[in-house]
Amino acid sequence: MAGLNDDAQWIVMLGFIISILILFLALIVNQSALVGQTTAESVLEFPKTSIQDTRNELMTLKDSGLLKSSLIDDIEFLSMVRRGAVVSVNTSATYIHYNDGVTTYNETIGGG
Amino acid sequence: MVDDSGQLYTIEGIAAAILMIFTAYLAVNTAVVYTPQDVHIIDMQLEQLGNDALVVLDTPPSESEKSPLQDYIERDKPEWFGNNFTRLMNATTSGNPDKIKYTATVYYRDIADPTNVRTHPFTNSTTSSRYYRENAVNVSRLVYVNDNPYDAIVDDQVVLLEVMVWRD
Repeated sequence: MAGLNDDAQWIVMLGFIISILILFLALIVNQSALVGQTTAESVLEFPKTSIQDTRNELMTLKDSGLLKSSLIDDIEFLSMVRRGAVVSVNTSATYIHYNDGVTTYNETIGGG
Repeated sequence: MVDDSGQLYTIEGIAAAILMIFTAYLAVNTAVVYTPQDVHIIDMQLEQLGNDALVVLDTPPSESEKSPLQDYIERDKPEWFGNNFTRLMNATTSGNPDKIKYTATVYYRDIADPTNVRTHPFTNSTTSSRYYRENAVNVSRLVYVNDNPYDAIVDDQVVLLEVMVWRD
């Protein structure tokens, strides 16, 4: 052991520990970017506003007594052509079905 | 072999370690790591903003009144829509207004040929912009119109207003 100085072993060991900790922190940061991306993607993919819009339009028409089969046809047709979603509504708008291939939404409104 | 002669150095080492870890923690927390995939987050916020603006415009001021959006389409006034839509989209709480561009189209069912969709551009030169493949999001809203200005055959119809939104 002559000439080998083991005075600073603690500091050297802490240096190792810190470097490993920084590595783990870097991994966490790396993952967080991925989490943000996938979250945003699933929010973009989920047709929340389309369903709300379809519901809102049907309910408003129903409440104001304007609902008729040609308007339901318009909604179903435009949803299919422009939003790529199958929308199916019965004539009294008590049943709403929405399916865009990823998300399915069914609603039955009672008392209608 | 083992004695307590280096206690102060040990404490200093531990203190330095804690300081360094804390500094590294602060540093990685402050900096936002921006990767190209993160544009999805911007898209999501833009889509939410666009939909919110359309909901605001499609809300009647009072019951039994028309919504502003219905009024704009029935009277074919894209400049009214443009002024109000850009005002809502570009509003900021302080500083300069945002620079969000849009282009809008009205889609409606052809009554003479019900399997055909017809389009009508809902743009005007002062408020809307031409779309040159920027990174845009698409927001849309079903609007009931009592008087379709583009199709004389039909009186009331549900049309779809599609707005493409992007940040300049």
